[in-house]
Amino acid sequence: MASQKEVKNRIASIKNIQKITRAMEMVAAARLRRAEQRIEDLRPYSEGMRKLTRIASAHAGGVPRVPVLVERQNVQTVGLVLVTGDRGLAGAFNSNIIREGMRSADRVRGEGAGPVFSVVGKKGVSAMTFRKQELVGEYTGFTDRPSFADARRIGEELVARYVDEEVDRVELIYNRFVSPLTQHVWRQTLLPLQQAEVVGEGAEEEEEATAEDESGGSQGRSEWFFEPEAEELLGRLIPEYVTISVYRALLESSASELGARMTAMRNAAENAESINDELTLEMNRARQAEITQEILEVVAGAEALS
Amino acid sequence: MLEVEVLTPEGEVFRGEVRQLSTRTEVGEIGILANHAPVLGALQPTTLRLHVSDSETRRYAQSHGWLQVFDNVARVLVEEAVPPEDLDAGALKEELSDAERRVAESEAGTAEWSRAVKDKQRAETFLSIAQG
Repeated sequence: MASQKEVKNRIASIKNIQKITRAMEMVAAARLRRAEQRIEDLRPYSEGMRKLTRIASAHAGGVPRVPVLVERQNVQTVGLVLVTGDRGLAGAFNSNIIREGMRSADRVRGEGAGPVFSVVGKKGVSAMTFRKQELVGEYTGFTDRPSFADARRIGEELVARYVDEEVDRVELIYNRFVSPLTQHVWRQTLLPLQQAEVVGEGAEEEEEATAEDESGGSQGRSEWFFEPEAEELLGRLIPEYVTISVYRALLESSASELGARMTAMRNAAENAESINDELTLEMNRARQAEITQEILEVVAGAEALS
Repeated sequence: MLEVEVLTPEGEVFRGEVRQLSTRTEVGEIGILANHAPVLGALQPTTLRLHVSDSETRRYAQSHGWLQVFDNVARVLVEEAVPPEDLDAGALKEELSDAERRVAESEAGTAEWSRAVKDKQRAETFLSIAQG
Protein backbone atom coordinates (compact mmCIF):
# COMPACT_ATOMS: atom_id res chain seq x y z
CA MET A 1 0.00 0.00 0.00
CA ALA A 2 1.16 3.51 -0.87
CA SER A 3 2.46 5.53 2.04
CA GLN A 4 0.48 8.40 3.49
CA LYS A 5 2.88 10.94 2.05
CA GLU A 6 2.64 9.58 -1.49
CA VAL A 7 -1.13 9.65 -1.43
CA LYS A 8 -1.09 13.16 0.00
CA ASN A 9 1.08 14.33 -2.91
CA ARG A 10 -1.27 12.80 -5.44
CA ILE A 11 -4.25 14.45 -3.82
CA ALA A 12 -2.49 17.81 -4.01
CA SER A 13 -1.73 17.38 -7.71
CA ILE A 14 -5.26 16.24 -8.53
CA LYS A 15 -6.58 19.28 -6.69
CA ASN A 16 -4.37 21.50 -8.85
CA ILE A 17 -5.66 19.89 -12.01
CA GLN A 18 -9.17 20.35 -10.77
CA LYS A 19 -8.57 24.06 -10.18
CA ILE A 20 -7.22 24.48 -13.72
CA THR A 21 -10.05 22.58 -15.38
CA ARG A 22 -12.65 24.51 -13.36
CA ALA A 23 -11.04 27.79 -14.41
CA MET A 24 -10.98 26.69 -18.08
CA GLU A 25 -14.62 25.70 -17.83
CA MET A 26 -15.55 29.11 -16.52
CA VAL A 27 -13.50 30.97 -19.14
CA ALA A 28 -15.10 28.90 -21.89
CA ALA A 29 -18.58 29.57 -20.49
CA ALA A 30 -18.00 33.33 -20.43
CA ARG A 31 -16.59 33.36 -23.97
CA LEU A 32 -19.39 31.14 -25.18
CA ARG A 33 -21.94 33.79 -24.31
CA ARG A 34 -20.08 36.29 -26.47
CA ALA A 35 -19.74 33.78 -29.30
CA GLU A 36 -23.48 33.15 -29.23
CA GLN A 37 -24.02 36.91 -29.31
CA ARG A 38 -21.92 37.17 -32.48
CA ILE A 39 -24.13 34.59 -34.18
CA GLU A 40 -27.10 36.77 -33.17
CA ASP A 41 -25.37 39.91 -34.50
CA LEU A 42 -25.04 38.42 -37.96
CA ARG A 43 -28.77 37.73 -38.30
CA PRO A 44 -30.05 41.26 -39.15
CA TYR A 45 -27.36 41.63 -41.82
CA SER A 46 -28.01 38.28 -43.46
CA GLU A 47 -31.78 38.89 -43.33
CA GLY A 48 -31.20 42.30 -44.95
CA MET A 49 -29.13 40.68 -47.69
CA ARG A 50 -31.85 38.12 -48.29
CA LYS A 51 -34.52 40.81 -48.72
CA LEU A 52 -32.26 42.82 -51.00
CA THR A 53 -31.59 39.78 -53.17
CA ARG A 54 -35.28 38.94 -53.44
CA ILE A 55 -36.15 42.46 -54.54
CA ALA A 56 -33.37 42.46 -57.14
CA SER A 57 -34.42 39.01 -58.32
CA ALA A 58 -38.10 40.04 -58.58
CA HIS A 59 -37.14 42.92 -60.86
CA ALA A 60 -34.41 41.26 -62.88
CA GLY A 61 -35.38 39.65 -66.17
CA GLY A 62 -33.93 36.36 -64.97
CA VAL A 63 -31.24 35.03 -62.71
CA PRO A 64 -27.92 35.78 -64.41
CA ARG A 65 -25.55 32.89 -65.10
CA VAL A 66 -23.03 33.87 -62.47
CA PRO A 67 -20.18 31.37 -62.33
CA VAL A 68 -20.81 30.41 -58.69
CA LEU A 69 -24.28 29.10 -59.61
CA VAL A 70 -23.11 26.95 -62.48
CA GLU A 71 -22.93 23.27 -61.67
CA ARG A 72 -20.10 21.37 -63.38
CA GLN A 73 -20.98 18.20 -65.24
CA ASN A 74 -17.55 16.71 -64.96
CA VAL A 75 -16.32 16.88 -61.37
CA GLN A 76 -12.59 16.18 -61.21
CA THR A 77 -11.49 18.00 -58.09
CA VAL A 78 -13.45 18.59 -54.91
CA GLY A 79 -12.34 21.16 -52.37
CA LEU A 80 -12.93 20.10 -48.77
CA VAL A 81 -12.85 22.89 -46.21
CA LEU A 82 -12.35 21.63 -42.66
CA VAL A 83 -13.13 24.07 -39.87
CA THR A 84 -11.29 23.18 -36.66
CA GLY A 85 -9.94 25.23 -33.76
CA ASP A 86 -6.53 26.68 -32.93
CA ARG A 87 -6.55 24.93 -29.58
CA GLY A 88 -7.22 21.49 -28.19
CA LEU A 89 -8.66 20.38 -24.86
CA ALA A 90 -12.14 20.49 -26.27
CA GLY A 91 -13.09 16.83 -26.26
CA ALA A 92 -13.74 15.36 -29.70
CA PHE A 93 -14.35 18.78 -31.28
CA ASN A 94 -11.33 18.74 -33.59
CA SER A 95 -11.00 15.01 -34.18
CA ASN A 96 -14.64 14.70 -35.30
CA ILE A 97 -13.95 17.17 -38.09
CA ILE A 98 -10.74 15.45 -39.15
CA ARG A 99 -12.52 12.07 -39.19
CA GLU A 100 -15.41 13.44 -41.28
CA GLY A 101 -12.88 15.12 -43.58
CA MET A 102 -11.01 11.86 -44.21
CA ARG A 103 -14.31 10.03 -44.74
CA SER A 104 -15.44 12.68 -47.24
CA ALA A 105 -12.12 12.40 -49.05
CA ASP A 106 -12.73 8.65 -49.46
CA ARG A 107 -16.22 9.31 -50.77
CA VAL A 108 -14.87 11.86 -53.25
CA ARG A 109 -12.25 9.36 -54.45
CA GLY A 110 -15.07 6.82 -54.80
CA GLU A 111 -16.79 9.24 -57.18
CA GLY A 112 -13.64 9.23 -59.28
CA ALA A 113 -12.57 12.74 -58.29
CA GLY A 114 -9.59 14.02 -56.33
CA PRO A 115 -9.99 15.81 -53.00
CA VAL A 116 -7.98 18.91 -52.05
CA PHE A 117 -8.05 20.26 -48.52
CA SER A 118 -8.28 23.74 -47.06
CA VAL A 119 -8.07 23.85 -43.29
CA VAL A 120 -9.11 26.43 -40.74
CA GLY A 121 -7.47 26.17 -37.30
CA LYS A 122 -4.02 25.11 -36.09
CA LYS A 123 -5.25 21.77 -34.76
CA GLY A 124 -6.65 20.79 -38.12
CA VAL A 125 -3.55 21.94 -39.98
CA SER A 126 -1.22 19.88 -37.78
CA ALA A 127 -3.50 16.82 -37.88
CA MET A 128 -3.76 16.92 -41.68
CA THR A 129 -0.04 17.59 -42.13
CA PHE A 130 0.64 14.59 -39.88
CA ARG A 131 -1.58 12.52 -42.17
CA LYS A 132 0.60 13.70 -45.07
CA GLN A 133 -2.26 15.50 -46.80
CA GLU A 134 -1.45 18.39 -49.07
CA LEU A 135 -3.23 21.61 -48.05
CA VAL A 136 -4.10 24.29 -50.60
CA GLY A 137 -5.27 26.71 -47.94
CA GLU A 138 -4.29 27.16 -44.28
CA TYR A 139 -6.12 29.71 -42.15
CA THR A 140 -5.05 30.01 -38.53
CA GLY A 141 -4.89 32.42 -35.63
CA PHE A 142 -8.48 33.66 -35.48
CA THR A 143 -10.75 30.75 -34.54
CA ASP A 144 -11.30 32.25 -31.07
CA ARG A 145 -12.88 35.29 -32.58
CA PRO A 146 -13.35 35.10 -36.33
CA SER A 147 -13.97 38.41 -38.10
CA PHE A 148 -15.92 38.95 -41.29
CA ALA A 149 -12.66 39.89 -42.99
CA ASP A 150 -11.33 36.38 -42.20
CA ALA A 151 -14.46 34.86 -43.73
CA ARG A 152 -14.09 37.11 -46.77
CA ARG A 153 -10.51 36.01 -47.33
CA ILE A 154 -11.49 32.34 -47.15
CA GLY A 155 -14.70 32.80 -49.14
CA GLU A 156 -13.05 34.76 -51.92
CA GLU A 157 -10.17 32.35 -52.24
CA LEU A 158 -12.65 29.49 -52.55
CA VAL A 159 -14.73 31.35 -55.12
CA ALA A 160 -11.60 32.30 -57.05
CA ARG A 161 -10.50 28.66 -57.10
CA TYR A 162 -13.96 27.60 -58.25
CA VAL A 163 -14.35 30.27 -60.92
CA ASP A 164 -10.82 29.74 -62.21
CA GLU A 165 -11.70 26.00 -62.44
CA GLU A 166 -9.12 24.66 -60.01
CA VAL A 167 -11.95 22.90 -58.15
CA ASP A 168 -15.33 21.75 -59.41
CA ARG A 169 -17.17 21.61 -56.09
CA VAL A 170 -16.51 22.89 -52.58
CA GLU A 171 -17.78 21.29 -49.39
CA LEU A 172 -17.61 22.90 -45.98
CA ILE A 173 -17.27 20.69 -42.90
CA TYR A 174 -17.76 22.27 -39.50
CA ASN A 175 -19.27 21.81 -36.06
CA ARG A 176 -22.72 23.27 -35.95
CA PHE A 177 -23.70 24.83 -32.66
CA VAL A 178 -26.92 23.35 -31.28
CA SER A 179 -26.51 24.09 -27.58
CA PRO A 180 -23.57 24.37 -25.20
CA LEU A 181 -23.87 20.61 -24.68
CA THR A 182 -24.50 19.56 -28.26
CA GLN A 183 -22.56 20.18 -31.45
CA HIS A 184 -23.18 18.39 -34.71
CA VAL A 185 -20.64 17.76 -37.43
CA TRP A 186 -22.21 19.37 -40.46
CA ARG A 187 -21.37 19.06 -44.13
CA GLN A 188 -22.59 21.69 -46.53
CA THR A 189 -22.02 22.10 -50.26
CA LEU A 190 -20.75 25.64 -50.56
CA LEU A 191 -20.08 25.78 -54.30
CA PRO A 192 -21.89 25.68 -56.65
CA LEU A 193 -24.44 27.75 -54.73
CA GLN A 194 -27.99 26.48 -54.87
CA GLN A 195 -30.05 29.00 -56.76
CA ALA A 196 -33.22 28.19 -54.82
CA GLU A 197 -31.45 28.92 -51.56
CA VAL A 198 -30.26 32.32 -52.69
CA VAL A 199 -33.06 33.85 -54.70
CA GLY A 200 -35.91 31.77 -53.31
CA GLU A 201 -38.07 29.07 -54.75
CA GLY A 202 -39.64 31.19 -57.44
CA ALA A 203 -43.35 31.94 -57.27
CA GLU A 204 -43.81 31.93 -53.52
CA GLU A 205 -40.80 34.08 -52.85
CA GLU A 206 -41.69 36.38 -55.67
CA GLU A 207 -45.04 37.02 -54.01
CA GLU A 208 -43.27 37.87 -50.80
CA ALA A 209 -41.06 40.35 -52.58
CA THR A 210 -44.05 41.86 -54.34
CA ALA A 211 -45.91 42.11 -51.05
CA GLU A 212 -43.03 44.11 -49.70
CA ASP A 213 -43.21 46.32 -52.78
CA GLU A 214 -46.84 47.04 -52.30
CA SER A 215 -46.72 47.61 -48.58
CA GLY A 216 -45.55 51.11 -49.42
CA GLY A 217 -48.90 51.93 -51.01
CA SER A 218 -48.30 53.94 -54.14
CA GLN A 219 -44.70 52.76 -54.50
CA GLY A 220 -45.26 50.18 -57.20
CA ARG A 221 -42.65 47.84 -58.63
CA SER A 222 -41.78 50.00 -61.62
CA GLU A 223 -40.64 52.88 -59.46
CA TRP A 224 -37.56 51.25 -58.02
CA PHE A 225 -34.24 52.76 -58.96
CA PHE A 226 -31.40 50.31 -59.45
CA GLU A 227 -27.78 51.35 -59.41
CA PRO A 228 -26.51 49.42 -61.35
CA GLU A 229 -29.25 47.49 -63.21
CA ALA A 230 -31.16 44.78 -61.31
CA GLU A 231 -29.56 41.88 -63.23
CA GLU A 232 -26.08 43.14 -62.59
CA LEU A 233 -26.86 43.88 -58.99
CA LEU A 234 -28.16 40.35 -58.54
CA GLY A 235 -25.08 38.94 -60.18
CA ARG A 236 -22.94 40.78 -57.66
CA LEU A 237 -25.13 39.93 -54.65
CA ILE A 238 -25.12 36.19 -55.21
CA PRO A 239 -21.41 35.53 -54.54
CA GLU A 240 -21.81 37.38 -51.21
CA TYR A 241 -23.69 34.33 -49.97
CA VAL A 242 -20.50 32.32 -50.03
CA THR A 243 -18.78 34.74 -47.65
CA ILE A 244 -21.81 34.92 -45.38
CA SER A 245 -22.01 31.11 -45.28
CA VAL A 246 -18.31 30.85 -44.44
CA TYR A 247 -18.65 33.52 -41.74
CA ARG A 248 -21.63 31.73 -40.26
CA ALA A 249 -19.71 28.44 -40.23
CA LEU A 250 -16.75 30.12 -38.50
CA LEU A 251 -19.02 31.61 -35.85
CA GLU A 252 -20.87 28.33 -35.29
CA SER A 253 -17.60 26.46 -35.06
CA SER A 254 -16.19 28.97 -32.61
CA ALA A 255 -19.26 28.68 -30.36
CA SER A 256 -19.16 24.89 -30.69
CA GLU A 257 -15.50 24.80 -29.69
CA LEU A 258 -16.22 26.75 -26.52
CA GLY A 259 -19.24 24.56 -25.76
CA ALA A 260 -17.18 21.42 -26.29
CA ARG A 261 -14.37 22.76 -24.13
CA MET A 262 -16.78 23.70 -21.39
CA THR A 263 -18.25 20.21 -21.35
CA ALA A 264 -14.86 18.51 -21.56
CA MET A 265 -13.47 20.62 -18.72
CA ARG A 266 -16.52 20.07 -16.55
CA ASN A 267 -16.15 16.31 -17.04
CA ALA A 268 -12.46 16.56 -16.21
CA ALA A 269 -13.20 18.52 -13.04
CA GLU A 270 -15.85 16.00 -12.00
CA ASN A 271 -13.51 13.16 -12.72
CA ALA A 272 -10.84 14.82 -10.60
CA GLU A 273 -13.39 15.10 -7.81
CA SER A 274 -14.13 11.38 -7.82
CA ILE A 275 -10.43 10.44 -7.99
CA ASN A 276 -9.93 12.76 -5.07
CA ASP A 277 -12.60 10.96 -3.04
CA GLU A 278 -10.95 7.63 -3.74
CA LEU A 279 -7.52 8.92 -2.81
CA THR A 280 -8.81 10.48 0.40
CA LEU A 281 -10.30 7.11 1.34
CA GLU A 282 -7.02 5.42 0.57
CA MET A 283 -5.12 7.95 2.62
CA ASN A 284 -7.42 7.46 5.60
CA ARG A 285 -6.97 3.72 5.31
CA ALA A 286 -3.19 4.13 5.23
CA ARG A 287 -3.30 6.37 8.30
CA GLN A 288 -5.60 3.92 10.09
CA ALA A 289 -3.23 1.06 9.26
CA GLU A 290 -0.31 3.01 10.62
CA ILE A 291 -2.12 3.80 13.88
CA THR A 292 -3.23 0.19 14.31
CA GLN A 293 0.34 -0.90 13.75
CA GLU A 294 1.60 1.50 16.39
CA ILE A 295 -0.99 0.36 18.94
CA LEU A 296 -0.14 -3.26 18.28
CA GLU A 297 3.51 -2.48 18.91
CA VAL A 298 2.77 -0.67 22.19
CA VAL A 299 0.47 -3.46 23.38
CA ALA A 300 3.00 -6.12 22.44
CA GLY A 301 5.71 -4.18 24.29
CA ALA A 302 3.53 -3.85 27.40
CA GLU A 303 2.66 -7.53 27.33
CA ALA A 304 6.32 -8.51 27.10
CA LEU A 305 7.08 -6.46 30.24
CA SER A 306 4.31 -7.92 32.41
CA MET B 1 -37.07 62.49 -41.13
CA LEU B 2 -35.60 59.35 -42.64
CA GLU B 3 -35.11 56.19 -40.67
CA VAL B 4 -31.64 54.72 -41.13
CA GLU B 5 -30.16 51.34 -40.23
CA VAL B 6 -26.46 50.74 -40.75
CA LEU B 7 -25.79 47.02 -40.40
CA THR B 8 -22.56 45.06 -40.65
CA PRO B 9 -22.06 41.29 -40.28
CA GLU B 10 -20.52 42.01 -36.89
CA GLY B 11 -23.47 43.99 -35.61
CA GLU B 12 -25.50 47.15 -35.85
CA VAL B 13 -23.53 50.38 -36.16
CA PHE B 14 -26.28 52.96 -36.31
CA ARG B 15 -30.04 53.06 -36.01
CA GLY B 16 -32.05 56.24 -35.83
CA GLU B 17 -33.63 59.12 -37.66
CA VAL B 18 -31.63 61.47 -39.83
CA ARG B 19 -32.30 64.43 -42.09
CA GLN B 20 -30.12 63.19 -44.87
CA LEU B 21 -27.89 60.26 -45.73
CA SER B 22 -25.11 60.59 -48.27
CA THR B 23 -22.91 57.91 -49.73
CA ARG B 24 -21.68 56.71 -53.10
CA THR B 25 -23.07 54.03 -55.39
CA GLU B 26 -21.35 52.73 -58.48
CA VAL B 27 -23.19 55.33 -60.49
CA GLY B 28 -22.06 58.22 -58.32
CA GLU B 29 -22.69 60.24 -55.18
CA ILE B 30 -26.17 59.83 -53.79
CA GLY B 31 -28.05 61.79 -51.14
CA ILE B 32 -31.21 60.37 -49.61
CA LEU B 33 -33.80 62.62 -47.97
CA ALA B 34 -37.10 61.64 -46.38
CA ASN B 35 -39.71 60.15 -48.74
CA HIS B 36 -37.15 59.20 -51.36
CA ALA B 37 -38.27 56.80 -54.09
CA PRO B 38 -37.28 53.14 -53.59
CA VAL B 39 -33.62 52.50 -54.41
CA LEU B 40 -31.43 49.42 -54.53
CA GLY B 41 -27.78 50.15 -55.09
CA ALA B 42 -24.28 48.74 -54.82
CA LEU B 43 -22.10 50.95 -52.62
CA GLN B 44 -18.48 51.88 -53.17
CA PRO B 45 -15.99 52.63 -50.40
CA THR B 46 -16.47 56.24 -49.31
CA THR B 47 -17.38 58.39 -46.33
CA LEU B 48 -20.90 57.62 -45.22
CA ARG B 49 -22.47 60.81 -43.85
CA LEU B 50 -25.53 60.82 -41.66
CA HIS B 51 -26.89 64.30 -41.03
CA VAL B 52 -28.60 63.70 -37.72
CA SER B 53 -29.42 67.37 -37.19
CA ASP B 54 -28.23 70.76 -38.45
CA SER B 55 -25.33 70.73 -36.04
CA GLU B 56 -24.52 67.02 -35.96
CA THR B 57 -23.18 64.89 -38.79
CA ARG B 58 -21.90 61.38 -38.17
CA ARG B 59 -19.18 60.10 -40.43
CA TYR B 60 -18.12 56.54 -41.09
CA ALA B 61 -15.51 55.06 -43.38
CA GLN B 62 -17.67 52.66 -45.35
CA SER B 63 -16.48 49.70 -47.39
CA HIS B 64 -18.27 47.96 -50.27
CA GLY B 65 -21.87 47.15 -49.59
CA TRP B 66 -25.50 47.68 -50.45
CA LEU B 67 -28.18 50.29 -50.00
CA GLN B 68 -31.90 49.71 -49.88
CA VAL B 69 -34.33 52.60 -49.57
CA PHE B 70 -37.98 51.74 -49.22
CA ASP B 71 -40.93 53.22 -47.38
CA ASN B 72 -38.84 55.93 -45.75
CA VAL B 73 -36.36 53.41 -44.33
CA ALA B 74 -32.80 53.40 -45.62
CA ARG B 75 -30.90 50.23 -44.88
CA VAL B 76 -27.15 50.31 -45.41
CA LEU B 77 -25.54 46.87 -45.47
CA VAL B 78 -21.77 47.18 -45.45
CA GLU B 79 -18.92 45.00 -44.36
CA GLU B 80 -17.38 47.78 -42.35
CA ALA B 81 -18.56 51.13 -41.09
CA VAL B 82 -15.82 52.61 -38.95
CA PRO B 83 -15.64 56.07 -37.35
CA PRO B 84 -12.70 57.87 -39.07
CA GLU B 85 -10.83 58.32 -35.77
CA ASP B 86 -10.69 54.54 -35.33
CA LEU B 87 -8.80 54.01 -38.59
CA ASP B 88 -5.13 53.07 -38.43
CA ALA B 89 -3.27 54.83 -41.24
CA GLY B 90 -0.13 52.72 -40.79
CA ALA B 91 -2.00 49.42 -41.13
CA LEU B 92 -3.96 50.78 -44.09
CA LYS B 93 -0.74 51.73 -45.90
CA GLU B 94 0.45 48.16 -45.54
CA GLU B 95 -2.89 46.82 -46.77
CA LEU B 96 -2.72 49.16 -49.74
CA SER B 97 0.77 48.13 -50.81
CA ASP B 98 -0.18 44.46 -50.32
CA ALA B 99 -3.26 44.95 -52.52
CA GLU B 100 -1.22 46.79 -55.16
CA ARG B 101 1.28 43.95 -55.23
CA ARG B 102 -1.52 41.41 -55.69
CA VAL B 103 -3.08 43.47 -58.49
CA ALA B 104 0.28 43.50 -60.26
CA GLU B 105 0.91 39.78 -59.72
CA SER B 106 -2.47 38.42 -60.77
CA GLU B 107 -3.70 38.01 -64.28
CA ALA B 108 -6.24 40.67 -65.28
CA GLY B 109 -9.78 39.34 -65.49
CA THR B 110 -9.38 36.43 -63.08
CA ALA B 111 -11.41 36.27 -59.87
CA GLU B 112 -8.15 36.65 -57.94
CA TRP B 113 -7.45 39.90 -59.76
CA SER B 114 -10.87 41.48 -59.21
CA ARG B 115 -10.54 40.61 -55.53
CA ALA B 116 -7.22 42.45 -55.37
CA VAL B 117 -8.68 45.45 -57.21
CA LYS B 118 -11.52 45.66 -54.70
CA ASP B 119 -9.12 45.47 -51.76
CA LYS B 120 -7.01 48.21 -53.29
CA GLN B 121 -10.02 50.45 -53.74
CA ARG B 122 -11.05 49.99 -50.13
CA ALA B 123 -7.54 50.57 -48.76
CA GLU B 124 -7.08 53.72 -50.88
CA THR B 125 -10.37 55.24 -49.76
CA PHE B 126 -9.92 54.35 -46.11
CA LEU B 127 -6.39 55.71 -46.14
CA SER B 128 -7.49 59.04 -47.58
CA ILE B 129 -10.28 59.22 -44.96
CA ALA B 130 -7.79 58.41 -42.21
CA GLN B 131 -5.47 61.14 -43.40
CA GLY B 132 -8.38 63.57 -43.41
